[in-house]
Formats: sequence, C-alpha cells, structure tokens
Amino acid sequence: MIANTDEARTGYRNVWVVAEVLGGQIQKVTYELLGAARSLANDRACEVWCVVMGHGLDGQIEPLFHGGADVVLAVDEPRFAEFVDEDMASVLVRFVDTHKPEIVLCGATTRGRALIPRVAVAANCGLTADCTGLSIDPENGDLLQTRPAFGGNIMATIRCSNHRPQMATVRPRVMNALPADTGRTGRVIREQLLESEKSTLKKVVEIFQDTENAINLADARFIIAGGRGVKGPEGFQLLKRLAERVNGAVGASRAAVDSGWVPYNHQVGQTGQTVQAMVYVACGISGQIQHLVGMQSCDYIIAIDKDPDTPLMQLADVAIVGDLFEVLPEIVREIPRT
Amino acid sequence: MKMVVCVKQVPGTHDAKIDPETKRIVREGIKAVMNPFDTYAVEEAVKIKEKSGGEVIVMTMGPPRAETVLREAISVGADAGILLSGRAFGGSDTWATSYALAKAIEKIGGVDLVLCGKQAIDGDTAQVGPGIAAQLGWAQATYVMEIPESNNGVITTRRMHEDGWDLCEITLPAVLTVVKDINQPRVPTLKGRLAAQKLDIPVWSPEDIGADEELIGLNGSPTRVVKTNPPPPRGAETLVLNGSPSESAGTLVRELRRRGLL
Amino acid sequence: MQHHIENRIYHVEVLPPKQDSEKLEADLERFTNKFNRVMDSGYCCCITDNAMGNLAFQGTEMIEELELEPKPGLVMIHLNTFHTKDDLDRILESCKEMKIEQLLVISGDGSDRLPKLTPADVGATDVESVTSVELLRYIRREYPGVFELGVAFNPYEPEEHEFAKMERKIDAGASFIITQPVIDNHPVVDKLLEKYPDIPVAVEAWMSKNIGLLSEAVGYEVAEDPESFNPVETLKNLHRNYPRCGVYLSLLGFKKQYDRITGLWEQVQSEEVAS
Ligand SMILES: Cc1cc2nc3c(=O)[nH]c(=O)nc-3n(C[C@H](O)[C@H](O)[C@H](O)COP(=O)(O)OP(=O)(O)OC[C@H]3O[C@@H](n4cnc5c(N)ncnc54)[C@H](O)[C@@H]3O)c2cc1C
Ligand SMILES: Cc1cc2nc3c(=O)[nH]c(=O)nc-3n(C[C@H](O)[C@H](O)[C@H](O)COP(=O)(O)OP(=O)(O)OC[C@H]3O[C@@H](n4cnc5c(N)ncnc54)[C@H](O)[C@@H]3O)c2cc1C
Repeated sequence: MIANTDEARTGYRNVWVVAEVLGGQIQKVTYELLGAARSLANDRACEVWCVVMGHGLDGQIEPLFHGGADVVLAVDEPRFAEFVDEDMASVLVRFVDTHKPEIVLCGATTRGRALIPRVAVAANCGLTADCTGLSIDPENGDLLQTRPAFGGNIMATIRCSNHRPQMATVRPRVMNALPADTGRTGRVIREQLLESEKSTLKKVVEIFQDTENAINLADARFIIAGGRGVKGPEGFQLLKRLAERVNGAVGASRAAVDSGWVPYNHQVGQTGQTVQAMVYVACGISGQIQHLVGMQSCDYIIAIDKDPDTPLMQLADVAIVGDLFEVLPEIVREIPRT
Repeated sequence: MKMVVCVKQVPGTHDAKIDPETKRIVREGIKAVMNPFDTYAVEEAVKIKEKSGGEVIVMTMGPPRAETVLREAISVGADAGILLSGRAFGGSDTWATSYALAKAIEKIGGVDLVLCGKQAIDGDTAQVGPGIAAQLGWAQATYVMEIPESNNGVITTRRMHEDGWDLCEITLPAVLTVVKDINQPRVPTLKGRLAAQKLDIPVWSPEDIGADEELIGLNGSPTRVVKTNPPPPRGAETLVLNGSPSESAGTLVRELRRRGLL
Repeated sequence: MQHHIENRIYHVEVLPPKQDSEKLEADLERFTNKFNRVMDSGYCCCITDNAMGNLAFQGTEMIEELELEPKPGLVMIHLNTFHTKDDLDRILESCKEMKIEQLLVISGDGSDRLPKLTPADVGATDVESVTSVELLRYIRREYPGVFELGVAFNPYEPEEHEFAKMERKIDAGASFIITQPVIDNHPVVDKLLEKYPDIPVAVEAWMSKNIGLLSEAVGYEVAEDPESFNPVETLKNLHRNYPRCGVYLSLLGFKKQYDRITGLWEQVQSEEVAS
C-alpha cells in the first residue's frame, strides 16, 4: 500500500518471514531468513513473525521460535500439501492487510519466486529480488536492499520508501541461521484458508520428488568444472563424485567439450553458459578469457592445476598446485557423505 | 487458442568483453537481444499453435528499437507484434511492468494464455510473469518445463522445483513462465526474417491501453534503485596451496567450512 | 584444395549477416557484392557458420534466397555441430544440389540460442558430445564421395592434444586442413606440414589491422605488436614461408585491401624464383 508519510509508515510493524515448506518439512532457508529478520527486528525494535503454510506441521512450530521467531502464524491445511500459489497468495494478502508487517522476507526459491510477486502486486508494494544484503537505514528506518543484477555484474541498492510493507526475496545460503536457542518460545496464531480463497483454477495431479535431480548448471550453488587437464570422460567421473558430495553440478571448458568428453550444455564461458555459483572449482582449466567471462562472478573460486601460473590460478581465491587426479580424491575423502 | 508472449529486449552477454584492468565485463557497446529465456516462450507458443491452432501475438514494453525482438519472434512463427512504448513507461519496476503488460493483454481481449520467460537476464527478478497473473487475477504456473496437454480450456503443465517437479491442470486463462528445458527454439531463416520485416507493428501508448498514469513508469514503481556499485572486488589475495594433495585438500575443506560454504 | 593451391586461388572468408542485424537489406547487399566479387576474381568464397557463436544466416540459404551463382569448385561452406539434425540434413542437401563440394567441418562456437547435434543424431555411440570428428564420419557415411571435407587446426592450442585430435579428424575422413591465423610463421604449423606431407594445407592470414582481435579468435593470448602489424606484408611473408600452402584470408577489407592482394601471390612467387 502507498505509505508516503511517516504517519502512514508507522502503521506497519514487525518483520515477517514466509516459511519454505517442502513435503511438510520447513526448509533450512527459513531459518536463514529468521536469522536475517532477527537482526533487522533488533534495529527496528519490533518482533519477528514467521508465516507457515503447509500440511502436517505438528512439531515444526517450536523450532521456529528457537531460530528467532517471536510469533508464528500457521495455516495447517490439507490443500497446502501441494503448492497452490494462487490460494497461498490470497491467504498471505489477507494476513498482510490484517497485521500490516513492515518487512516481508521470502526465500528466492522456485516456490518463493512464484508466490511472493503475486502478493506484492495485490498488496501494492515493492518487491526486491534475490537480495544479498539487507539493512536498516538509520536515518529513516527504510529497508536497504542490496542485490546483484545483470548476471552479477553490478550490485544495486534498492529502497521502497513510499510503500509498505517492504518485500524482499533472498536466496538459500546467503544469510546465516542463528544457533538454535532452545530456551526461546513464542506465540502461535492458528489461521485457516477461507472458502473464498480456495481457487478452483489449479489442480496439482502428480508430484515427483527427486533430490538427486541432476542440477541445472545455471542454478547450481556448487560447480565442479573440468578442462583439458581432466584428460578424458573417465576423469570427469572424478569430478562427478565430488559434485555429488556437495550437491553441485559439473561444468566444463570448451576444450573438454570439443574433445567429446562432456555434453555441450555443461560448457561454461563466452560460447557456453554464464554461471554464478557460490563455489566454482576449476580442475585442469587454464582460464582463457573466453572461459573467465562465464564464471568470474562466482563468489568463491578454487583452481586446481599443475601449473601455478595460469590465468585461473592467478584469479582464484584458492589455488591448489598439484595433479588433479591426486587432489580431487583427497577432497572427496574430506567431505563426509550426507 | 489466443496466446500472448511477453518478450524483453536485454543487453546480450554474448559479445561481452572483459576490461583487462578491472576484470569485469564491459557493458558499453553491447548489442541488445531478445532475452534468451523468452525465445523458449515464443517457441512453445508457436508449437502449441502448430499443434492445435490459434494465434500468437508477441508483445514487449520498451524503447522503439525493442521492435527488433518482436520481428525476431515473428520470423520464427509469431503472427503479430505489439510494442508498448512511450516516455511515461520509462523506469518501470516489476510492479509497473506487469501492470502495463496486463492492461495491454486486457486490451487485446480474448487471450487464453500468456507466456513469459523464466526471468530476464538483466533485471533477473523473475517477478513479471507472476505479476501479470496477479494483475489479471488469473492462474499461473512458473518454471514450466513441459506442457504435455492443452485442450478444452485446460492446460497441463509440468513445473520444475528444486526438489523435483509437479504436474498441474490449470483452467485458462493463465500465465506461464517457462524454463530452458521446455524446448529447443528454432533459429530464424532468412525467408522468415524477410517476411517479418514487412509486417506493421503497432505502437501502443499508455493512453492506448487505458493505463492509470499513477501506476506506470516511475510513478507506479514502489522500488527505487538508489545506487549501483560494481560487485565487491574479488579478494585480491590468492591462497596458494602447494603442499601434498592431502594437506591441500584438508586446508581447502577447512577454509570452505570456515566460510560456511560447506 | 590441391587445385586451389596449384592455381593460386585465394580462400576469401565472407560472413553472412547476423540475425540481429538492424539493417538487414544493406547487409544482404554487401554480402551479395562480396560474393560476386570473389566469384569474379576466380577465388574461393568461404562462408562461415555462426562464427564466434553469433547467430547469422546460413550460407546455403543466402545463396538460395539471393539467387547467387556459385561457380563450380569456388564456394566452401563451413559447417559446425550447432544445428538440429533436420537443419544439418537440409544444409547438406542444398550443398549437394548446388554442387558445392568443399565443406570445412568444425566443432564450432555455440551459444544459448543454437541447437547442438546430439551423438544419437549423427549415429555416434562412443562420445558425450558431437565434435567435428563425429560430424565428418556422418557426412562421409551419408554422402559418400559427394564432398571434399576439410578441418581446422589451431597451433595456439596445446600441441599434443591438437595433434591427437588432428589424427582423429584425418581418420574420420578429412582431406584438407585450414589453420588458424599465422603471423609470418609458426613452428607448430611447420610440424603439421612435416607430419602430413600429402594433405593440402591452407594457412590463414589475418587481414585485419586489429591484431588484438586475433587473441579473441584463437582463444589464447597472441603477443604481437599492434603498431608494427601490417597485414599485407604478413601475407607476403606467408607466401614466402609456406610456398606449398594455400592461403585463407580472414577479415579481408573489400574496399582498399582487395585490390592490393590481387596478383600478390604470383608476384611473390616470381620474386622468389628470381632470387
Ligand atoms: C539493477 C536493477 C535492479 C532491479 N531490481 C528490481 C527489483 O528488485 N524489483 C523490481 O521490482 N524491479 C527491479 N528492477 C526493475 C526491473 O528490471 C524492471 O522492472 C524490468 O522491466 C522487469 O524486470 P526483470 O528484468 O527482472 O524481468 P523478469 O521478471 O525477470 O522477466 C520475466 C519475464 O517477464 C517478461 N518481461 C519482463 N519485462 C518485460 C518487458 N519490458 N516487456 C515484455 N515482457 C517483459 C519476459 O517474458 C521475461 O522473460 C531492477 C532494475 C535494475 C536495473
Ligand atoms: C570464439 C571462441 C569462443 C570460445 N568460447 C569458450 C567458452 O565458452 N568456454 C571455454 O571454456 N572456452 C572457450 N573458448 C576456448 C578458450 O579460448 C580456451 O581454448 C579453452 O577455454 C581452453 O580450455 P582449458 O583451459 O580446458 O584447456 P587448456 O588451456 O589446455 O588448459 C588445461 C590446463 O590443465 C592443466 N593440467 C593438465 N594436466 C593436469 C593435471 N593432471 N592436473 C592438474 N592440472 C592439469 C594444464 O596445466 C592447463 O593449465 C573459446 C574460444 C574461441 C576462439
């Protein structure tokens, strides 16, 4: 809603987190958002609320208090065993209208990114996507939202001064969850999906869960990439093993693709894909400019090469000088199976 | 089936150059192209048309030169294009963009299905598709990786999620956003392109679509980009590990843990 | 190719207009003029296939739509692995129909917008990704005896790997080689000539003054002094250093440079004979 006066803005209070619920389980990203919300709430001297929409939520409310929530607004509804974004959005819009939060945070997941824009449109407020930084402007209390755009090539700071609530999505693993404080408790508000909010427009007819799902390179948080130094398709098995351990994807330089060792859709670079992983491990890739343009906005870059002087070894945050066939198995050994 | 595909013109990453000093991509002089994800939306609409008949209208909101992306879509099988253009649209955030596109869709009338790309590669928000659905009060399906069926006013979509997928039956009209897995877009032929050259593309202004001036462009945008910075410089220091493989691996994994990356 | 070398026929690279061209008519006209000029000179017109992954129109459709007249033996089509099977077959059929015999078969540059042949498309069972090798095999199998198939050689890539790849390309049916641009001479190209004395090779001459772009084209940093680089002089040196080789001209300037290279090959040869 438009809130372009101090008076209008003070009508909005508290920081909300919209929980990510999959298969009846509250996901980790929710706790990360609670961590971020807690610190914003401290600055604003207000409460943290967590909105949970799902089915079979018994036993899952308490941990939210341990993670930093003061109030949990829960809708335990059979229909919410499935992701019916239209209905969930209607419920959320009603909650926002009723309780007037100042800030609403949601995970930038496939579900969060489907749900929350619907809410923002209906609530007539701004929504900032994929924030990597959230803070409060000490001058006027606005939420300052920092986010990458143009594929990570610029960082933009965004504010929504004249509308409330201020809404933002945050990707998983960007914020830090608080250590669980089992002494904390809070208030639970139980709510329901109203008949009028049940839309008949969408029917989920089948659900397929596959966490082993080969991860899309563009969305991967962890990429293990190989180049000519990997020497053949057998070498890529080694990379795959590490990728499986860290729930990541396998990437490749063009030299590896052109040798027929890996399919083209794994190629990173100017004539392949641009990736923005949290961690990029380059194995036996020298790092010519055509490769670098595709991966240089990854957050943390690790290079493994026999040659310490390649462009990638210079660019990397960690450069491991050595034979990748010896180093990779050691890394795999260091990371326990989950 | 009457379909509208929303396409956005974005700076191409393709002929990106790296500044040797800053090691960052130089954006100046980069050509504008159709948002890569939107090519999948166009292809899917054309495929639906080829299978069960109908009409495909492509629409973009942008400066006059954004017309080229409409012609590109027409050269691969879209039937018509509409350009939303006018100074008052400038500075739109996703709220104002979805409002304007929704108003235009209402003006077209009788639309059964709107297709968007998963996200634009410049703004990167993925908010416009669901935003349009919300503005129109229609059903939506995002991250669609397959459309197994569409008939009798119901469309079946396979939505991609981090942990798998789900299949939904959706009553039309609806808005879909599509991911790359959905198809392989065809490349325009010279013949198609020459034919597309000749088509007239109407330009709609805010008045043409009956937009409320307070809800478009900067006026209608709750978000404000107040500052843009280059991303924080990469840690200049490289941690060089040249011990034994097991030492290096140990140090690396400890470092990853310390940074909360594992 | 041997015929081209013996008759001092230059290979002139011509790029079809890009898909995103904002002045398509003008670009088409330019292409037509270049093509006709190369035909008139009796040179061989080499038409690229989405070079650098930039979406462009296909050589064969350009010739068909613009009703150009390829002279027998004087058009070479580049063909890479970024096509659908249908498009690949269509291109090959067109070439056959238009009696275009020379194909330069390359792995090529991809992009988000380009499809990629799958191993199944070309009947390959032993690889994860289709490279020039699989494409060569496919064309040989489907069109026996129809085409003369050439491949590319990049002396800037790690040598051992590049030679191993060349061996596979020759095995798969390549019968001529075109190198990446060589400035004056390159020891790895010398080795190539030594290793394959019976296979005709064309060395590529970089005809743009912008030597900086060369590194972008070959994928590795090439140290050359931008001040002193002189394309026409370099071309002369190539003739002197590689008298047994053909020459492929990339980025040739049609306005001023074209006239300066006319007759150059003959001239250098007679100078060499004289000395
Ligand atoms: C640095 C920067 C950061 C920004 N951050 C935000 C932000 O956090 N929140 C916000 O609300 N706005 C933001 N914006 C504004 C936003 O980029 C514009 O609103 C833009 O018009 C649409 O958003 P998008 O590019 O993210 O598109 P997305 O929502 O990612 O696009 C999804 C799909 O919608 C369709 N579409 C999008 N734009 C158009 C169009 N103009 N014409 C036709 N179809 C279209 C296409 O099918 C596209 O594939 C930001 C802009 C910049 C420059
Ligand atoms: C137009 C164009 C577009 C291009 N687009 C792309 C693109 O999109 N993506 C891309 O990647 N490239 C692209 N390239 C190619 C690029 O220029 C390089 O040729 C390519 O990236 C090199 O791949 P590489 O690093 O794997 O191979 P190399 O440069 O050969 O590097 C191999 C590395 O492995 C190391 N090594 C060898 N053995 C071992 C071992 N046992 N243990 C550890 N290290 C070892 C070596 O020391 C060396 O540093 C493009 C080129 C051009 C001309």
